[in-house]
Amino acid sequence: MMKLLQQKEWSPYLAGTLLGLVYVVSIAVTGIIPGASGAFENIGGLIAQVVYPELTKNTYFQFVMPPGITTAVMILLGIMVGAFISAKLSGDFKMQAVSDDQWKRVFGKATWKRWLVLFVGGIILEFGAGIAGGCTSGLAIGGGLFLAPSAFIFIAAMFMSGIPVAMLMYWRKY
Amino acid sequence: MFEMIFSLVMGIGFGFALQKAGLTKYNKIVNVFRFTDLAVLKFMMTTLAVAMVGIFALNTLGIVALPNIPATYIVGNLIGGLIFGVGMSGAGF
Repeated sequence: MMKLLQQKEWSPYLAGTLLGLVYVVSIAVTGIIPGASGAFENIGGLIAQVVYPELTKNTYFQFVMPPGITTAVMILLGIMVGAFISAKLSGDFKMQAVSDDQWKRVFGKATWKRWLVLFVGGIILEFGAGIAGGCTSGLAIGGGLFLAPSAFIFIAAMFMSGIPVAMLMYWRKY
Repeated sequence: MFEMIFSLVMGIGFGFALQKAGLTKYNKIVNVFRFTDLAVLKFMMTTLAVAMVGIFALNTLGIVALPNIPATYIVGNLIGGLIFGVGMSGAGF
């Protein structure tokens, strides 16, 4: 058992089974569909309340995504803790500025490039998730498991734009 | 209060599974859009299948009530998904 926990990488089928069980337990016990992107909106709302309260006086922040420390924020915290435990157990944990060998090979070692793309990409990603009503975890999996049409529209759209963007970024190396 | 702590525990399981599947790494995410490594899809679809069977089995036995499912509004889901894909493919997370 310990050996399994210390493995660097599991087969995606095994890890997927674990995550599937997390969804089942979470929905069965509290009825909460685990998701990651909502937490950023909750925290963003909290910050906006302090910095510029006018921004939170609309339907979205009052009814759809109320600001505050919600269960979504706790899940997000848990994700960080869980990933940290997993990385520590397998000795995979390290601090680095440019995250990946593949990135260095294709785009060079410059740190600012990676950080810029990551920052801008993160904003775009969260903006899209806000419009769609969830991200890969909350909408695609959390909705897909009830065969909600929204989830499958979202997955299709995600690949429709993701593939050309990867093509453009990698160009000849695609 | 129980819900908060319970969510934290669920999050830990969530993060553990993600890290073990290698989905915390840039190359795993971006390579699914290049069709060179389909781990993300394998992972996602396994999760879907397991969760689907689990929830509906428990629901049929009358143990679990189904929660509100994410709303469908075609234009929003579609446009949101399109924007999301750009960010996910670029940032790799």
